[in-house]
Amino acid sequence: MEQDERGLARSREPAHLLWLALFATAPVTAGDDALVVLSWGGAYERAQQAALFAPYTAATGRQVSVQQYDGGLEGLRRAVASGEVPWDLIDMTRSQAMAACDEGLLEPVSPALLAPAPDGTPAEADFLPGSFGRCAITHSIFATVVAYRTDAFPGRRPTRIGDLFDQRRFPGPRALQDTPAVNLEWALLSYRVPREELYRLLSTRRGLDLALERLDALDEIHWWQAGDTPPRLLAEGEVVMASGYNGRFFDAMVNRGAPIEILWDGQVQEHETWAIPRGGPHPEAAREFLRFATDTERLADLARHIPYGPARRSATVQVTTHPESGVDMRLHIPTHPLNAERAMTKDETWYARTRSRIQALFRDWRARRESQ
Amino acid sequence: MKPLFAVTRAGREPLAVARFLGLVLLGAVIGAVAALVAVGFVAAVLGLNDLLLISPRSRMMFDHPSLLLVITVAVPTLGGLAVGLVHLAIPERRPHTPADAIAAVQTRRGRLPLRAGGLSALSALISLGAGASVGQYGPLVHLGATLGSLGARLLRLGRSEDNVTIACGVAAAIATAFNAPLAGIVFAHEVVLRHYALRAFAPVAAAALVGHVIAANVLQRGALFHVAETAVPRPWEFIAFLAIGGLGALVAGGYMSTLLGVTRLARRLARRLPLAAPLRPALAGALLGLTALWVPDILGMGQETLRFATIAGAFDSAELLLVLVLKIAATGLCLGMGFGGGVFSPALVIGTLFGALCGTLVGQLSGAPQETFVFYAVCGMVAVTAPVIGAPLTSLLIVFELTGSYALTTAALASVTLASPIAAQLFGRSLFDIQLVERGLDLSAGRGRAMLRGTPVMEHLTDEGVTLRPQTPVDEAVTALCRARHGEGYLVDAEGRYRGCVSLADLEAAREATQQGMQNAPPGDSGATQRVGEIAPLARPVLAPDASLWDAMAALEDVIGEALPVVDAEGAFLGVVFESSITRAYLAHGDELRREEHGTG
Repeated sequence: MEQDERGLARSREPAHLLWLALFATAPVTAGDDALVVLSWGGAYERAQQAALFAPYTAATGRQVSVQQYDGGLEGLRRAVASGEVPWDLIDMTRSQAMAACDEGLLEPVSPALLAPAPDGTPAEADFLPGSFGRCAITHSIFATVVAYRTDAFPGRRPTRIGDLFDQRRFPGPRALQDTPAVNLEWALLSYRVPREELYRLLSTRRGLDLALERLDALDEIHWWQAGDTPPRLLAEGEVVMASGYNGRFFDAMVNRGAPIEILWDGQVQEHETWAIPRGGPHPEAAREFLRFATDTERLADLARHIPYGPARRSATVQVTTHPESGVDMRLHIPTHPLNAERAMTKDETWYARTRSRIQALFRDWRARRESQ
Repeated sequence: MKPLFAVTRAGREPLAVARFLGLVLLGAVIGAVAALVAVGFVAAVLGLNDLLLISPRSRMMFDHPSLLLVITVAVPTLGGLAVGLVHLAIPERRPHTPADAIAAVQTRRGRLPLRAGGLSALSALISLGAGASVGQYGPLVHLGATLGSLGARLLRLGRSEDNVTIACGVAAAIATAFNAPLAGIVFAHEVVLRHYALRAFAPVAAAALVGHVIAANVLQRGALFHVAETAVPRPWEFIAFLAIGGLGALVAGGYMSTLLGVTRLARRLARRLPLAAPLRPALAGALLGLTALWVPDILGMGQETLRFATIAGAFDSAELLLVLVLKIAATGLCLGMGFGGGVFSPALVIGTLFGALCGTLVGQLSGAPQETFVFYAVCGMVAVTAPVIGAPLTSLLIVFELTGSYALTTAALASVTLASPIAAQLFGRSLFDIQLVERGLDLSAGRGRAMLRGTPVMEHLTDEGVTLRPQTPVDEAVTALCRARHGEGYLVDAEGRYRGCVSLADLEAAREATQQGMQNAPPGDSGATQRVGEIAPLARPVLAPDASLWDAMAALEDVIGEALPVVDAEGAFLGVVFESSITRAYLAHGDELRREEHGTG
């Protein structure tokens, strides 16, 4: 999962690691008082530029210099160990932020830092549950969802995540990510167990068996690894249903006109956070930026540029149209009440402790399936 | 003494109205406290389960398989030891249960002890936390009842109000734990109060409502059951649901017999084996842990097992039967050997497994698709739980409030219709009632009789009766009785022993006979003076000092007379109880109950 959540965002080249190594030794050139932000590049960075960085510079006079983040922790580890941390802020997934925080690579941040909503609601009540980590504040929420070809099932369309496994009513090949995560969750959800109990049930041999049994019943599965594969397979008609990142599907639907639709039921949400590395050059300015970039107006504006759900409820209701295509972005963000009704959050703590065993189980199952 | 038959219009006086509203308000306050305590209790159990590696999630996240085996056996064992030590501090040496709350209300004793209640909750918390196969709802109910009783005591309210506040605490606990306010209200009436007076309803409803509001905002959990909207059982399936009810009653009976049997066995063994009391639950814990290495489903409350049992195909028939039998055995072992905790959660699991077994078999026989599988699971659940707690309506309401499915509730109704009466005929109204009978409180004829049984006749003992020595001449006896204006005298010898009872009429007859005899006899024959002891005594039952009002009423059935003598085991005369005071007390009790059960305020 770590490799490609950004959906729209990234071209994946091994050169990023090189860049990181380079930046760790050669300090920035954009002027000593510029804020250095590590982010994901591509359309994601363009959206941040328009909604966050440019307004920040306009408001404070301080430049923002953006560098490319590879999603790992290795560069940060080395930088903190060397005592020369070149970045002020990192845009990272919550699971990575939790791991980095445990390793002592990040500064603690307090929710007290954050601005209240325009109507005065304190930040603690305005942010979605789970937004405040010890060292990171969630700003946006992206989702892994199922999308389907609108022309594949004449007269009906999938409405529940269980339909992913219903080959009688929705026949045709599927594309699923080559990881246990999300697939096991959906497979067990298709038995209509409550979301709240999902990981408790997946913690039993019986639950895992039931989930794998469901997956096993699918006739034809295309396994994907890169985030751009599922929209392509759908667009080319190779598969009729596919899992993937909501940003990628948005891009295919809105920017490239592919005949696909997102099934929001059972969407698995993950948090994207701001974190401040330990020993960065401008800790005070970093906090100031964090407050600025997570206020209601900025978050709502960011969600107009890219279909990620704002972490604030007050921002979610203020989201309007995509500036270029005029598409109503509210229908495309994972946290909109209509889409989020049956959303679930990935249990990062559970995966942190069980990942290797669950992956081994999944690999064994795939090997058995292929040998049959 | 208050007039017995005066018409009371107290409900219409402003003071009485205020008093009644105060009781409703008190119910709401008790509801809030009980709900918060229940929320804390549930959270503490879950926290302990995670900490002690009982919950599947924590076990999965713990990546040391061999250490996990050791912990699985060690935690219930040490938990059992801790529970056994806690029980040493309770006067009865056992945790208090809902049966104690029921007894307190049904005998109108009220006044549940706070210390024993708190220690019982602690015992249940440790038991549940350490993975014993026991339930959490019983302890929550008893804790709620204890808090309710405490509220009444703090405000120095009477026994009648104490009973209502106990019911308030119970209702709030159920409303919170299940997030089912209606079930909470009905449970308090059906199981604890056993009447439906408007006077009790309003405070109880207020308590349940507050509990529900708190639960809805604090405890966010998935409903116990989910049903596909499209599934509707076919007509013939209702016959299966009825049959599940009949068979479920037998499963419930087997479950209750196992619990009671192990309890008796443990008591008998305790006399033979030199096993200190705190070690008994520890032994049960060790056995439980060892079995759990093989079948982990029996550990703890079994919420995951419960969920899987509602999914068609999650277990095959053999597995269902195995887990069903082991769960009954494990619960019997844990509760019988002295763990603290309830009987409801295990009954839920057992019943659902049983229903799933029936559903699987029906599916195999009919070859029909298993869309209605969850109906069978729920029917089995209700068929087993309703008889165990003696609450058919509550069980139905729990299904209704948790699922919101009318179809599911009517299916459950079919099962309960047979399950509850069959189990009541064969075994008893509920496990609580059976336990109380074993402790000497029989509620099968209602609380009227239980209360009369609970009132000692000694309360009405008097020494106003005329006592006569057997040697007393008849003349003197007649004079003494006439002076005292009594029609009966009781013969007591010099050692204070009771020698029988004579009536004034018999004495008079004897005196007349003597006088006639004297007229015929030669004058001066004073040796013929008749003594009271020579007259044939009346057939009159005597009461033992520990006799109850109920015994006295039963004895009076064959008696025409004034009073019953009370005589102890050595034959010593203690006094008499007048028939009029027995009748008066009987009527007073009946009137109090009537006022409590039919009053509006």
